[in-house]
Amino acid sequence: MAAFLARRLLLAVGVLVAVTFISFCFVATKFSAICTSAYTPQTRYPPLAGSVRDAAILYWHWLKSVPQGHVGDPCGTTTLQPFWESVGHTAMLIALTAVIVVAFSLLLGTLAAVNAGSALDVVLRVFSYAAWAIPSFLLALILQAIVEWATVHHGFRLFPISGWPGTCPVSVFYTTPACGHPTGIHYVGSLFTHTLVPALALSLAFVGLHSRYLRSALLVALHAPFTTTAYAKGLSRRRTVLRHALRNSLATFTSAFLLDMGAIFGAAMAVDWVFRLGGFGMLFIIQINGVGGGDGPAYLDAYAIENLLAFAALFVLGAAFVSELAVGWLDPRARVR
Amino acid sequence: MTSLDIALESSFATRPRGLGFVALRRFARRPLAVAALVTVLSLFVAGALAGVLAPGGWSEINLAVVHRAPTFAGGHVFGTDWVGRDMVVRTLYGIRTTEIVALSAAVIATIAGVLAGGIAGYYGGWLDAFVMRVSDLLTALPVVVIVLAALVYFGEAYPHLLVLIFSGCMWAGVARVIRTDVARLRVQEFVEAGRALGATDLRILRRHILPNVGGTIAVAATALVGQIVLIDATVEFFGYGLPESVAPSLGNLVADVVKFKFGLTTDPAVAGLGWWTWVFPGLVLVLILVCLNVVGDSLDEALNPSSQLG
Repeated sequence: MAAFLARRLLLAVGVLVAVTFISFCFVATKFSAICTSAYTPQTRYPPLAGSVRDAAILYWHWLKSVPQGHVGDPCGTTTLQPFWESVGHTAMLIALTAVIVVAFSLLLGTLAAVNAGSALDVVLRVFSYAAWAIPSFLLALILQAIVEWATVHHGFRLFPISGWPGTCPVSVFYTTPACGHPTGIHYVGSLFTHTLVPALALSLAFVGLHSRYLRSALLVALHAPFTTTAYAKGLSRRRTVLRHALRNSLATFTSAFLLDMGAIFGAAMAVDWVFRLGGFGMLFIIQINGVGGGDGPAYLDAYAIENLLAFAALFVLGAAFVSELAVGWLDPRARVR
Repeated sequence: MTSLDIALESSFATRPRGLGFVALRRFARRPLAVAALVTVLSLFVAGALAGVLAPGGWSEINLAVVHRAPTFAGGHVFGTDWVGRDMVVRTLYGIRTTEIVALSAAVIATIAGVLAGGIAGYYGGWLDAFVMRVSDLLTALPVVVIVLAALVYFGEAYPHLLVLIFSGCMWAGVARVIRTDVARLRVQEFVEAGRALGATDLRILRRHILPNVGGTIAVAATALVGQIVLIDATVEFFGYGLPESVAPSLGNLVADVVKFKFGLTTDPAVAGLGWWTWVFPGLVLVLILVCLNVVGDSLDEALNPSSQLG
């Protein structure tokens, strides 16, 4: 198993290097490396690299600087600080979403499978189809409108309309009513109230999808001979479902959930943009908005874009690797010897 | 053999039916699945006939009926926008754009995925390793990020560029599924028998393996259409898909709401749009996605009955 995992890890690192190299070549030969502060829309800047060969040399310098934490950025903290902040904000949003998706998918999927064919199953099926079909950005907009309506018309100020604790979003349309700088335990509470509504908007579709996956896997387990044996031994229904059938279905559920992290990440970008959380989605859109268009090379910080692309790839590949670890841990049959 | 035996045999004789027929019958017995299929097909046909149903086009301005709420009087069932363009017409053309992108990209991605996955699964070895590593590269980044980056790289968006980008990065998922199925099938006895009888690789793939992965292809293609519709809408929501000036799509019609804050506000600075300008395209988008999910899920259950035990 260790050799298998080492091989998979090596493969993931290889894929990460290849993806970052290819994306760097595209980005560096098209875009410049102009710091945000030096951004001048009237001027056309030359691309960072004149050829793929130049891009390869710059990529090597970029790669070497990664372990030192510089990530090759000539602009220093002007783009690196937002990068680390945005990674933290997105990590918090996805972590809370993961908790909600896992908890509710397990609950609803188990209820649907145990009551398969009943009215409850039909209701849960309708819910999951509807939830799964609502784009996260649309749900985020609707929830934000509800929060705004409750805040403006009813003075309900528990959930901020947008923004991150301690930062006051500057936006044309949305303003946070109370924009303080909480510290200590207040910061934790504020973090929760700022991310709960966005996390709900992000999780609903994935609860619908993964509760269906779990239902299917659990139904197969509930009809397996080992479940019949468990009943025949006199085990209660609750114990049979939770200790035998559900445990056997968890490998499929966990694998599907972790492999879906790419989709969750993409949807999180849109939710982040709607709620102005200052996460990966917002930073990515701000960075690519620097593009001038037209015939000349656009002015866009190639390193800043590359750092964001590399992080997205690291996240997806990391989730796939953790999925293999988790499946091996949950299902001994999947362990390669 | 007595006449009784012959009579008994003929009374029990049934026409041989393929797996596809059985699955189709199982699918047809699900009223929800049939209703979803009929709905999504109707919406797609209406979208395809947008030019016939609304020959005036999506940009026909009528300043006499500016910013009108939905009403049956005057025929503006979905209302009109801030320059008097009918929202039914814009939604129809929106469906057309979305379906052109989603269906074309799904067809190309499915064909590419089936070819790549079929070859990788059947031949194995370095071909398999090569296809799988390429698909590893394509699935290492979230599709939304790839599409946004590609659109920024190319500078502007038009339908066939979107089709190319979507099919270019989404065939990998299909290839993985097909490769697993083909690799499982190629060691089965009927394939061995075909090979022993002297059938060529092409014939084995076409006549023996392809019909057996037909179900998987159908499920993957349906899921792909839904995914592309969703990702396309998300990209357009960010303002990077097709601009509304090129063609309305369900994504960019809904995205207008961000610019005008839902049309629910009384603030004259941002009250340019009514709620109806985004609610109806949004509902159609959700309806298409619900139907595609129901069809895909029911197709999967019809082809793999073990998943619907109980």
